[in-house]
Amino acid sequence: MTPQMPGQKLSLPGVKHVLAVASGKGGVGKSTVAANLAVALHMYGQRVGLMDADIYGPSVPIMFGLGLVDQTRTPFPIERFGLKLMSMGFLVDPNQAVIWRGPKVAQAVGSFLAQVPWGDLDFLVIDLPPGTGDAQLTLSQQAPLTGAIVVTTPQDVALIDARKGVKMFQEVRVPVLGVIENMSYLEDAAGTRTAIFGKGGGQRLATEAGVPLLGELPIDPRVGACGDAGEPIVRRHPDSPVSKAFVEIAQKVVNEMLKQPTTAALPEVQL
Amino acid sequence: MPEPVKPLSLRREGDGLRIEWADGTRTFATWRTIRAACPCASCLDEKAKPPDPFRVLKPSELTAGPPAPVAMKPVGHYAYQITWNDGHDTGIYTLEALRKLS
Repeated sequence: MTPQMPGQKLSLPGVKHVLAVASGKGGVGKSTVAANLAVALHMYGQRVGLMDADIYGPSVPIMFGLGLVDQTRTPFPIERFGLKLMSMGFLVDPNQAVIWRGPKVAQAVGSFLAQVPWGDLDFLVIDLPPGTGDAQLTLSQQAPLTGAIVVTTPQDVALIDARKGVKMFQEVRVPVLGVIENMSYLEDAAGTRTAIFGKGGGQRLATEAGVPLLGELPIDPRVGACGDAGEPIVRRHPDSPVSKAFVEIAQKVVNEMLKQPTTAALPEVQL
Repeated sequence: MPEPVKPLSLRREGDGLRIEWADGTRTFATWRTIRAACPCASCLDEKAKPPDPFRVLKPSELTAGPPAPVAMKPVGHYAYQITWNDGHDTGIYTLEALRKLS
């Protein structure tokens, strides 16, 4: 792929909303949330694409039962379960590490956005890597992001980094649609809920940032198992409580997006 | 976080930049002021050092003359990036920074 020049503004004329799923901390289940949310949005009747911006640790291929493809023969984005997908994992052998400095990461992210024919979509969900680094900055500066969702787990160690994620989007003027709390509680057969990682963290972050808490996702071992088996739980077990929570979140995201004033592009300068 | 004021139009006026903001305010700053306020890492680093009386101007600085923009492009929803006539283009001016400059 030809590299996307830094600073070059991208436009995705056929895409209505570009939604970034982010977190400050790694390991909070951001990719799982992004994949399931994308499937849930599709079940809600939306045309959805999912772009994996985690260049160093792509996880979209495994979650959709895909892997390395022959890039000379495969047209991108790859379609699966009605979603259009793009990931570094389609291009690089899973046993190979991508050992790149920041500018290369920015180039790859730019290429995924600009050179993949996404076509007409209601939502392009972008699964961001953790942190506030190169991929995030490239997207904030070059992509027409219409909103961001911050995923966190309830404990303070995750919240402290999630706060930084929220702060970053506020600095670059990307509206934060809300917070999703993952791994909120474990419910046993009797209906008793145990908050393994503490309680109320997601709500605290949402209140602090002045954004809605979009949902609390229960812990369910099937979530991870389905991800590893290549079919997101929302599709495999649509009646599970966690899948229902995802569909509710998808509904809220669609509503929040409608409420958001369209973030008009900044005016050009007349020099 | 309060919703920051957005610019409605930006244009060259004489030797500076005139911005009309959504709240009705009009601001003006000369290119020299804007260039001096470049927020990029190398300019900030330069400003943090004591001035060097023996600094030799680079040929590009000598031929460029007074600072003038060659291009000024929007960056995301929050800033503008200016390419100057001496080739310097690493400064990304946030809307807040541009508003404070006048």
